[in-house]
Amino acid sequence: MNFLSENLGLLLQALGTTVMMAVVAGIGSLILGVLVTVARVSPIPILRWAAFCYTQFFINVPLLALLILAVFALPDAGLILPLAPTAILVLTVYEAAYVAEAVRSGVNTVGVGQVEAGRALGLSLGQSFRFIVIPQALRAVVQPLGNVMIALAMNTALAAAVGVVELTSRANKVNLVYAQPIEIFTTTGLVYMAIALIIGLGAGWIEKRVAIVR
Amino acid sequence: MSASTPLRRKTVLAGAALAAFALALTACSTGSANVPGGSSDDTGSEASLFAGAPVASDDLILPGSTMEKIKERGHLIVGEALDAPLLSQQDPTNPDSVTGFDADLAKLLAIYILGEPNVEIVPPASETREALLANGTVDVVFNTYTITEERAEQISFAGPYFSSGLAVAVKADNEDIKGIDDLGDKTVIVGANTPAVLAVPEEQPTATLVDFATDPQAVQALLQGRGDAYVQDYTLLASHAESNDDLKVVGQPFTSEPYGIGLGHGDADFKEFINNWLLEIQESGHWGDVWTTSLGTVVESDVPTPPTIGSVPGS
Repeated sequence: MNFLSENLGLLLQALGTTVMMAVVAGIGSLILGVLVTVARVSPIPILRWAAFCYTQFFINVPLLALLILAVFALPDAGLILPLAPTAILVLTVYEAAYVAEAVRSGVNTVGVGQVEAGRALGLSLGQSFRFIVIPQALRAVVQPLGNVMIALAMNTALAAAVGVVELTSRANKVNLVYAQPIEIFTTTGLVYMAIALIIGLGAGWIEKRVAIVR
Repeated sequence: MSASTPLRRKTVLAGAALAAFALALTACSTGSANVPGGSSDDTGSEASLFAGAPVASDDLILPGSTMEKIKERGHLIVGEALDAPLLSQQDPTNPDSVTGFDADLAKLLAIYILGEPNVEIVPPASETREALLANGTVDVVFNTYTITEERAEQISFAGPYFSSGLAVAVKADNEDIKGIDDLGDKTVIVGANTPAVLAVPEEQPTATLVDFATDPQAVQALLQGRGDAYVQDYTLLASHAESNDDLKVVGQPFTSEPYGIGLGHGDADFKEFINNWLLEIQESGHWGDVWTTSLGTVVESDVPTPPTIGSVPGS
């Protein structure tokens, strides 16, 4: 296991990049995803249609294809961003579609009667969403959102294909020197597993704290 | 919240259509997973390339050896790329045709053992070549596999069968970079899992590396300005420079990369067998013919002298 001790600094740095990408894209996709859900369940047809198209597009196009498009096609359109921000941006808009689908299932758990009651009390549409629908919807889908976040953390590995030096890319480079793929990729896999476990346990903890007792 | 109800039926239909499409796609891709090299639609030029190729006599196929196993199986399983121009490139319009220097040598080896170019390709092998060899998924690896002593602890190398070097390519309008010595503090594009990943930091520790999975991606990245230079095998770069006016090769190759044929660790009989085969195809001229029709098409020089077998530490 001397590849580990001799490359600890580089591997930790790469792990930092992976975690940073997961956290930034995670927060971004949660915000964007909730906004997409609001559009999806709003009474404005054009917003509903746009949100529907958004989720269908990003759920049905492979992430790797999106990454390669963003890295190699956008520069031809005159838009060139550094690699890591490009990857984070793509991850954000991609996972937002999954967040939106998860939150929408949460919205469906909020009774129509509650919205009608809100309207009877004189709440505007925005207020109904802010105070009645979204808080309850989010509480209902903490665990599914946790799963989306785990998927996001795993998906950061695809950024290795477009030149971002994160954990997978660094593991590849280490393997090039040491030629011990089984040990190196098992170790990398265990680190990813630990990340997933932390997110999963965190989601479970949050769910317990915010659960609505019915 | 029933806003989405009218959409639901449509969504189901759309989902079914997508599922059908996805199934069709999967069906297509499984078809090309196995790539038998010597299929019936081989081109005429290929047939002449392999005409008179040496075939091992029966007493060389030792009982109980890897060669015998391959002969009984009826095809040679090779770890090689499908996306390396001039080395091992799959024809996109005809998935059964994989050509290039590595690919054609693999077929010659198959002819040597089996009498016909029956090759099954397992791609992509670059990250896990050692593991594929160790667990017996592939018999041999032809994959611009640089012989190193670290790798030789995990697997064995026959050869070297070719010696190449890394060179520097820049955009055609770049006048500042004249070679590897000018790459300090520059952003350098390399192919992931190529020898350049290790060689560039050795020469220029201050250079920042950006690696892309495939060679076309790396070229695209260079032309789009994601890096100042692209370091890759000089033959490959020469072929890009010839087909693309926006790119040029600067300076001479700055490393020597001895490429070996990867095989199972400690398989001394097989190694000797392959080394003998290399000598035979070098003498018969097939080695040179393969070079001329692949790498030789982009370099204006005579057939190079093949490296001496066993001349590199690790081989």
